[in-house]
Amino acid sequence: MAGQGVHRREILRILGTAAAAASFPGFSKWGFACGHVGNATLHIKPPEYRPQFFSPSEYAMIERLSEIIIPSDQTPGAKEAGVAEFIDFMIAHDPEKQYPFRTGLVWLNSHSERLHGKRFLELTPAQQLSVLEPLGFKDKARRGEELGRKFFASMREYTVTGFYTSEIGFKELGNPALKFYSESPECPHKGDPEHLHLPQTKS
Amino acid sequence: MAKQIYDVIVIGTGAGGGMAIKTLCEAGLKVCALNAGRKLDPEKDFRFHRMPWDMKFRGLGDPKGESFGYMDNEYTKAAWDHEIPFTVAPGTKWFWPRCSAVGGKTNFWGRSSARFGDIDFKAASLDGYDVDWPLTYAEIDPFYTRVEKMIGVASSVQNRPSNPDGSYLPPFNFRCLDYILEAGCRKVGVPYLPDRCAQLTQPHEGHPACHYCGECTTGCDVGAFFSSPYFLLPKAEATKNLELRTNALAKNVLVDENGKATGVAYIDRKTKQEVEVYGRAVVVAAGCVESSRIMLNSKSRRWPNGIANSSGQLGRNLCDHLYGESARGYLPQLLGQPSFPDHVADSTIAWMPRWQNLNNPHEEDFIRGYSIYPDGGCSEFPWFARGLDGFGSSFKREIKRRYPTPVNFGIQAPTLRSDKNFMDLDPEVKDPYGIPVARMHFEWDENTLKMWEHSKQICAEVLKAAGGELEGSGNAPEIPGWSLHETGTCRMGNDPKNFVTNKFGQTHDVPNLYVCDASVFLSCTDKTTTISILAFTLRTSEHMIENFRRGDLKTA
Repeated sequence: MAGQGVHRREILRILGTAAAAASFPGFSKWGFACGHVGNATLHIKPPEYRPQFFSPSEYAMIERLSEIIIPSDQTPGAKEAGVAEFIDFMIAHDPEKQYPFRTGLVWLNSHSERLHGKRFLELTPAQQLSVLEPLGFKDKARRGEELGRKFFASMREYTVTGFYTSEIGFKELGNPALKFYSESPECPHKGDPEHLHLPQTKS
Repeated sequence: MAKQIYDVIVIGTGAGGGMAIKTLCEAGLKVCALNAGRKLDPEKDFRFHRMPWDMKFRGLGDPKGESFGYMDNEYTKAAWDHEIPFTVAPGTKWFWPRCSAVGGKTNFWGRSSARFGDIDFKAASLDGYDVDWPLTYAEIDPFYTRVEKMIGVASSVQNRPSNPDGSYLPPFNFRCLDYILEAGCRKVGVPYLPDRCAQLTQPHEGHPACHYCGECTTGCDVGAFFSSPYFLLPKAEATKNLELRTNALAKNVLVDENGKATGVAYIDRKTKQEVEVYGRAVVVAAGCVESSRIMLNSKSRRWPNGIANSSGQLGRNLCDHLYGESARGYLPQLLGQPSFPDHVADSTIAWMPRWQNLNNPHEEDFIRGYSIYPDGGCSEFPWFARGLDGFGSSFKREIKRRYPTPVNFGIQAPTLRSDKNFMDLDPEVKDPYGIPVARMHFEWDENTLKMWEHSKQICAEVLKAAGGELEGSGNAPEIPGWSLHETGTCRMGNDPKNFVTNKFGQTHDVPNLYVCDASVFLSCTDKTTTISILAFTLRTSEHMIENFRRGDLKTA
């Protein structure tokens, strides 16, 4: 193994990936459908992901929530990264999480009906945000919504995990793990060791 | 057919076993090595540059599965051994991933490689606790130098009182966060220096330089850091003096009527059959607790309490490193900066080597000392996001803005020898092959917990002095066992009544039985164990070769 080039390793990795793909449930947005593999012959892209755990209406809520948590704006978001597929897949494999997720969705629907007379997905985008903000922002929290806050925190954690473990999420952060380096990377600001005078970037 | 008799049977192929095998084979001795697991295939068993989205569970593992620690994860799951259990005494917690594959934990280790010094060997003389080691730094120094040249350690000459300098490759460059924390440390008056890292910053002895992918603890497919299968075993194989038997789970050392070692009985895990293999000498190098389990299980008329255990000390004196997150927070200076490859060495670019109790062994309210491993920056996953509030575009922007900023401080603190901490054989539970399992008895001692409290305070000061924001620390240290740095269950010493081996790792009771792992160390010190296992084993192996030459041990 010693001394083999990156090229050979890349080929082996692609072969390994293709072999493993056979055992996957057919994700439309992540895993082997991503351009990461870099080989058109390996594209495995079923027309539609079939949820393994959530019902179609539950799954639509998971999709919508993940897209609100990490939206598509100047850069791609949870939708492009297929985060709902990730959440469904993980929950399908995690019996302990199934009940809390399912009851969380039920809570959100009945809460939406209490506030606006309609189920969550039937609300306008502005109404959806007004329901979620007290759940997702500490300074907007309201009494009596503890269950909803707990569910939303869990939903946010899964969305973050699904998004930032996707290739799109790696690119969003400029994740350095996407590259190899020829020498030990070094701080480019050695004239300013305390880093008190760095150029500010637009945020 | 006459039964084959090898010169040496070596149990284990990790740092100790690998070094013993290489040294003995190169001296012309015929070696049969027994390894409890299989050979790894880097393409399947290492991470091999797979990305999270290449993995079924994004590298997080099956949610239904048990978590076994940071090295034993979805990428390398098949490389770790989950078949041989252990038990814990009431009140003991012990978390203990084990790798029985060829090369053992050297396939995945953390690579920090500081020498022990006289401050460790003579600690008892300095502070009055326990006993000194039976050797001085001057005796082991040349072996450290040879090991460093063999494996390549990146560091710098630092002139620290607790840390003898060695022979080093160029150190890793400091990242932004290192310069910032170094400035904080200077203000507080504690050291911040390049770690001693057995990871190649330049090509070395036929091994390629690191490509800084940051996946070290999931295996290096080009062998750019020291591991036994890349650095030691090929050299032994080239001599044609090695026979390596895999899936060979050592059960007990065989003895003759005088109690001398004659070989090893092992279980072939494929056929489930017990097999005997014979040698003129035996090296036990299965890792601290496993070596002691094998020796305790080697009961005979001559050795009713386990082989080489006339002192009753076999399995006693277990020490371990306390690990934990002493502080975590972020560096506002780096908010919104472009991402930077901070994770390239996967945790060991810098360290804060022991600075406590150096001028006076009692300057703190604890004795001895600990070291800190600082780390942070752009990591593979933005863990800090779990603590952020809100959602939407502002949330997404904040994650990106915070991405280069997180820092954390990990403590490595030694426990003190205690009668309460030991391993023995479980009288009831047996492994799937009928061998009694190890039973752990362990608790953190007061001295070590004081170090933990001390480290939380100092690391918080450093972070604040560096201009950072402190967010907290670990609620509690990691569970014992987590560090994988057990020591002490076959301690070396001059007095056969109180120690299992002499200063060469040769057991007092059985002159042709040697121990080559961290179990011979008197304490775990504030340093990691691997480079010392290598140096002590090189010395032990040459002592053994000399005994063969002198005729104390007869060659095949």
